[in-house]
Amino acid sequence: MKRVVKVEIITDALEVENIIKLLEEVGVSGYSVIKDVTGKGHRGVRSGYAFSDLFKNSYILVVGEENQMHKVVEAIKPIIKKFGGLCIVSDVILRIHRGDD
Amino acid sequence: MDIGLIINNLVHPPVLFFFLGMIASFCKSDLKIPDPLPKLFSLYLLLAIGFHGGVELRKTGINQEVIFSLSAGILMAIIVPIYTFFILKIKLDAYNAAAIAATYGSISAVTFITAVTFLQTLGLEPGGYMVAALALMESPAIVIGIILARLFAPNNKEGNHFSWGMVMKEAFLNGSVLLISGSLLIGLASGEEGWDTLKPFTKDIFKGMLSFFLLDMGLLAAKRIGDLRSAGFFLPPFAILVPVLNACVGIFIAKLIHLQPENALVFSVLCASASYIAVPAAMRLSLPEANPSLFVPMALAITFPFNIIVGIPLYYYLILRTDQWIPLFWK
Repeated sequence: MKRVVKVEIITDALEVENIIKLLEEVGVSGYSVIKDVTGKGHRGVRSGYAFSDLFKNSYILVVGEENQMHKVVEAIKPIIKKFGGLCIVSDVILRIHRGDD
Repeated sequence: MDIGLIINNLVHPPVLFFFLGMIASFCKSDLKIPDPLPKLFSLYLLLAIGFHGGVELRKTGINQEVIFSLSAGILMAIIVPIYTFFILKIKLDAYNAAAIAATYGSISAVTFITAVTFLQTLGLEPGGYMVAALALMESPAIVIGIILARLFAPNNKEGNHFSWGMVMKEAFLNGSVLLISGSLLIGLASGEEGWDTLKPFTKDIFKGMLSFFLLDMGLLAAKRIGDLRSAGFFLPPFAILVPVLNACVGIFIAKLIHLQPENALVFSVLCASASYIAVPAAMRLSLPEANPSLFVPMALAITFPFNIIVGIPLYYYLILRTDQWIPLFWK
């Protein structure tokens, strides 16, 4: 059992690659992505578009030490400001992880 | 107005499939085209029309008419977003005005294709070089729209990093521009022999694919029309009147450069159509402050249906009539 910080990001699906690049720059060793996330928010209904990934959201989950997660939040802030979405930060307990003893 | 032209267009199978899609959506039917297919249909149509245009261009070669038409196309792609921006600015902020102006300055390839099939039912075939005009007219409006927004909008907000490089890449190298330009060059290089090789794919099934695509467009247009509920009373009429105005300017230019009626029609349709693929992608990057719930449904749910149902026969009628009016005007 280990106390960690969880960062959940929901933003424009076309920005996922950029966010992953930023996570790697900050030194995050792992993350999870759910590519198609539908819903409604500040930019209206986000349910996709027949011709491209426009109007579609993705969900990114990352956990880690508080300092590192703080850097993650700062790094992705300009993307959320520009393309919309949200970022949720919470204290959680990591119960099982293969990499830990 | 020759009502026969409209009726002839309305009973054209691809247009009827468009209606079927709209009816299915309004009736809340569960009819749905699986997600990757509409994209495949749109890529197929761009490939087929680009390739055909290239083959035809090889036959005619590059002459004065081709150069005049392509130059006129670029000119229209530059001036349409400028004057539409100032019309829109009366009611909207600079970001939304610029995004909508770019939408109406750019073009819709499927409207162009529908105009070509309309002409084919009349036994006419436009020049292959008009496909080159289509490719050239897609991107300039995006750049003009961004310049207008940067000139007239308040300073960029914090966190809104802007990169001309990314915008230019999106404007000039986006998938649809690249595919249609590349297919045009392939058609130009392979000529009649290449056409015969690909004919079962690029010609024989073309109208079936167009029908399937328009069925999906009908579903999509009907679904998107609800997004305009918050648009007020200014934008829906704009989405019909401005395309007609643009078409009239296009017809006038087509007459000035002595285009044949079939080429004048596709030229005016290019001027009248609005983009719902390339522009939204570029605006997402360059003008994220603009509301896509305005410019996408305007282009997709109002202008596109208007053009393929009423616009195409109307513009053709005007072209035929102006043949009679213009000599009187010049006298």
